Amino acid sequence: MNTLKTVGISTTRIDTLQRVTGKAQYTNDVKLPGMLYAKILRSPHPHARIRSIDTSKALAMPGVKAVLTNENCKVIWGAGSIAGGVQYSDEIKKITKQHRYAFNNPVRFAGEPVAAVAAVNRHIAEEALLKIHVEYEPLPFVLDQEDAMKPDAPQIWPEGNLALSNRNEAVPMGQKRGNVQDAFAKSDQVFEDRFSTAFVHNAQMEPRSAVAHWEGDHLTLYTPTGGIANCRTDMARDLGIGQDKVRVISQYMGGNFGNKNQNQDADLIAAMLAKQTGAPVKLELSRKEDYIGMHGRWPTTQYYKVGVSKDGAIQGIQLRGYSGMGPYRKNSGAMAGVELYEVANVETSIHPVYTNKTVSGNFRGPEFPQGYFGMQSMTDEVCANLKMDPVDFVLKNMTRKPGGGAKYTDYSLEECVKRGASEFEWAKRWKKVPGSDPGAIKRGAGMSFMAFRSGLGRSDAVITVNAQGKYTVHVGVTDVGAGAKSTMWMIAAEELGVPLSQVDVMWGDTDHCPYSVGESGSRTTIMTGGAVVEAARDLKKQIAAKGMPAGTAMLTATVSANPRLPEGLVRSAFAAHYVEVEVDAELGRIKVLKYLAVHDCGRIINPLTAHGQIHGGVLMGIGMALHEDLIYDKRSGTALTAGYYGARVLTHRDAPKIDVIFIENDDGYGPYGAKSIGEAGKVPAVAAVGNAVANAIGHRMKDLPITRDKVIAVMA
Amino acid sequence: MADPVSSFDVSRREFLEGTGAVALAAVAAVPALGADELPSVPHTAIQVTINGVKQKIDVEDRWTMVEMLRDGLGLTGTKIGCDRGECGACTVLLDGKPVYSCSNLAVWADGRSIQTVEGLAKGDKLDPLQQAFIDHDAPQCGFCTAGQLMSAKALLNNNPHPTADEVRAAMTGNICRCSNYNRYVEAVMSVSGARA
Amino acid sequence: MKTFSNVNARDAKQAVALSQQARKDGKTPAFTGGGSDLLGMVKERIITPDVLVHLRGMKGFDQIEQRGGGLEIGGQVTLDTISHHPLIRSRYAVLAEAAETVATPQIRNVGTLAGNVSQRPWCWYYRNGFPCFKAGGNTCFSIAGENQFHAIFGGGPSFIVHPSDTAPALVALNATFKIAGPGGDRTVAASDFFVLPKQNAAHENILKDDEFLASVHLPAPRPGTRSTYHKIMDREAWTHAVVSAAIVLEMDHDICRSARIVLGGVAPVPWHVPGAEKLLVGQKITPELIAKVAEVSIAGANPLAKNAYKVPLTRNTVKRTLTELTGLTG
Repeated sequence: MNTLKTVGISTTRIDTLQRVTGKAQYTNDVKLPGMLYAKILRSPHPHARIRSIDTSKALAMPGVKAVLTNENCKVIWGAGSIAGGVQYSDEIKKITKQHRYAFNNPVRFAGEPVAAVAAVNRHIAEEALLKIHVEYEPLPFVLDQEDAMKPDAPQIWPEGNLALSNRNEAVPMGQKRGNVQDAFAKSDQVFEDRFSTAFVHNAQMEPRSAVAHWEGDHLTLYTPTGGIANCRTDMARDLGIGQDKVRVISQYMGGNFGNKNQNQDADLIAAMLAKQTGAPVKLELSRKEDYIGMHGRWPTTQYYKVGVSKDGAIQGIQLRGYSGMGPYRKNSGAMAGVELYEVANVETSIHPVYTNKTVSGNFRGPEFPQGYFGMQSMTDEVCANLKMDPVDFVLKNMTRKPGGGAKYTDYSLEECVKRGASEFEWAKRWKKVPGSDPGAIKRGAGMSFMAFRSGLGRSDAVITVNAQGKYTVHVGVTDVGAGAKSTMWMIAAEELGVPLSQVDVMWGDTDHCPYSVGESGSRTTIMTGGAVVEAARDLKKQIAAKGMPAGTAMLTATVSANPRLPEGLVRSAFAAHYVEVEVDAELGRIKVLKYLAVHDCGRIINPLTAHGQIHGGVLMGIGMALHEDLIYDKRSGTALTAGYYGARVLTHRDAPKIDVIFIENDDGYGPYGAKSIGEAGKVPAVAAVGNAVANAIGHRMKDLPITRDKVIAVMA
Repeated sequence: MADPVSSFDVSRREFLEGTGAVALAAVAAVPALGADELPSVPHTAIQVTINGVKQKIDVEDRWTMVEMLRDGLGLTGTKIGCDRGECGACTVLLDGKPVYSCSNLAVWADGRSIQTVEGLAKGDKLDPLQQAFIDHDAPQCGFCTAGQLMSAKALLNNNPHPTADEVRAAMTGNICRCSNYNRYVEAVMSVSGARA
Repeated sequence: MKTFSNVNARDAKQAVALSQQARKDGKTPAFTGGGSDLLGMVKERIITPDVLVHLRGMKGFDQIEQRGGGLEIGGQVTLDTISHHPLIRSRYAVLAEAAETVATPQIRNVGTLAGNVSQRPWCWYYRNGFPCFKAGGNTCFSIAGENQFHAIFGGGPSFIVHPSDTAPALVALNATFKIAGPGGDRTVAASDFFVLPKQNAAHENILKDDEFLASVHLPAPRPGTRSTYHKIMDREAWTHAVVSAAIVLEMDHDICRSARIVLGGVAPVPWHVPGAEKLLVGQKITPELIAKVAEVSIAGANPLAKNAYKVPLTRNTVKRTLTELTGLTG
């Protein structure tokens, strides 16, 4: 790769100073004159018809300014339901049969909004919630995704519990290639197993809040969103006003981790309360509400059947899966993993299923960590049965071509796997005989691998330059924590050929920034970064043609880039993870001793921030593998472990050192060859940890999280 | 699959307080009320030294310290992550010791001193910890950062040369969901090294 | 948060009087020390006090004093102070270690010994507002519900586990508790302070209205005493004990003269296992004996549907703790 002047050099962020001094303004730090405080009353029932709501006592309280319920607020929250994995659109809104309102009747999960109050302070708003009398008619409910598919299951929607697609079709997702039955018949051995993954939550540090403020018919919304442009589109559509009437501001955001590239019901509720009261309204959710009222990763049940030949070559894979979507289909409910293998015969059937749990949504690699856990636990178990080294098995079976005659733009998966095995000293740490350490303390090693989308797509950028030689990059990114603003800054400086000190960035405000794809799907560096490259090139051309501007004049380059890969090419990031664990078989404790993540994320724009993305993803993966679970009480249908204490989110003391190796390539696409990174660290981590535990104790742990009780049940 | 538990329905907490079905009242915004028309709530005048400045402030008895700091005094650098003493985003130093400002009442700070993230830098000169956090890219989203800083500050005040395990122990009450724990520990260790 | 007033008590007598006065006025009082847990419960409206009687400012209650060869620890001494106190560390290690495992530094810096001992259960049903025995109701939702962390000993009709780490340590140390209340002070053995649900399903100890735990007295340790606390947590910090063991041994060279084994996280009270202790008295401690003691310590365990793992976990925790305390290798 050619060397660059700014890109590729560890650079402290453009805005860390604001973060370490407390000056960065997050949504809840916004305080407007005359601002009211809002709180939401949530259903204690997982499924109930609201017979009546009496808000008179609440409204009579001094200091209470407005109460909204489904009686007086009929706003449909478009992005809250039938998105089916694609960005919600006007067309979908028109055709969908299953609308999700800001306030629904019946309520379909415990934690669903029933009413909202605006009052002069948060204490009065909270007390007013207690004065709202709701008469519920409880309805039968179902929590588990497999149970919900049984014929006698309570029906959550008239169309049934198999979630509709955005075309109103109730069909499982799936693919069919070759003939799996023939493949199994020809296989030397066929293995079958079941795996399940738990309901885990983003739990970003910043609890959801929104500040809405109307000036005439113009709405300003401060909200933690990773996609100000999409959030604006959604708000305008849901409120039935023009996009030019909505301004969305999200400059600092306390973590994203998925499902925030749109508007939220909290945004709509704040806006409606502000409209009704004629005053700015700040809506604050508690941590518990953030767990039970927002969204988590869809829990899954996965049934695999895998046929292999004697030499370990996979002949066929069959997967039947169930994803618990909650009662609204906010996202796809897909399961990734099968595509990792080059297999002629594949049949998958994945059911996105309505349940009466909190809604599921995209969370850092939406369909990946849970699908990878099932698929790569399954193949690891096949290896154990064949007495084959998993590294050899992976090298034999892993994807080398994306299928359908296509090619990867570049391919480093083999290098990731081999480099990782060598640096990690796999041969030394992996137990040929699983569980063979004598005594209670047992060590073992596991590995997993990844091929993760890194496509190109549309984003915009504007760069201006003034007579003083100051360049200002306008990009519609929010800095959710991944460092996008700094990445754009570095890319601009590089392409413009100027020092960073001459470049400034305007971000996080739809009134000052063009469209950006939004920080989801690990796309910002590639897509918005790509637009910045194009804008910089355009500006340089203008300068070459016209010279630098003089006086008060400025030059402006506006780009709406929408690059496409040539036909037959697929762009992918790759990785291999290696982990060693120690299991105390008597006490059921699992400790991660060593972790190595080898990643090809293309060119690394900023090594300083890139490492942190992998660290964070891996540690979240360890948490998902070993701890986190929103446990429900099955009789009341309510969650018991909402919050950091209940979910056992990792602390400083739980975090092992994570070693990261980047294999850098420039495939000629994306800005300087940069690929996706934000989700990549988490995607393979869960499977790697599960495999390491199995190698240590000699028992396959098939249900997440792998908690102490499960370990003791098989070991003690 | 389960049926609703009927005994559970009506008794649970105050949500469902009241009786029978009531005809729906007209739902509308009530006319604006001045703050002086609100029912009075217990409040107390306290004296508290905040970032070295002695202040008199009248607080509601039910205000937490972080409410006083954020809403009363505009010191929004201290964040609320859970409001239940589970995450550490609200950590401040009370008489030099890290505490959760969400889990202490403002009135309990009477006569005591509080240091917040805003009190770390001396004018434009950052505290060495702040600089180390920047250099090591310790904050990702930055929402837990003020709390991480205050816990680290208290540690180094008492133990200028901690081991990495001591750093983890001192900061274990500060969750970072971006999970940049490795970097936080490196940053704190680098400061202790600089002082060695 | 609901409205309440805070009053700072000067001394125990005034604290009790303030609590009594509130009750006379038709208000609900609550004593508060560090307040971390109490405020959490008020925010969730699990409790709804009108008056907080704040005890941290009381003179003399945050002191640790040597008395009669033993140690008098004020109820308002913080867990952080206890965990670092040189005399406690050297003579009553089990208490220092237990205090050090509580929650996080931020909570230990304000959390008090009295508060830790008197804290309400962390059962997820109680904490999520279910109208259970502990909330004044007449059901234990864990029995037919999610009971992974519930009692394997002494349960019924409520199956909570006592949440305190210092409580098993204090029972193991044969501490005595001084309780302040309307009739003046009264003193009870630590082991008599805690009550099983079958005696009182709504409350975990003998404190009556307007009473609070004023101080704790630790008797002088006999020569040769060694002690330790071992806590099993579901992450490396800030969880309550899944299982814990507080063990105090009085050793005469390699012969055990007396033993106290008290378990946490397994019962609605600190769970004393005298049957296991007896096996140790007068014996040379060997790995074989430890295995027997561990086995006897789980005698009578009666697990619910989802907490059977706690039985072997308890046995193994006792084994591990004794092994470490006696310097033997398993």
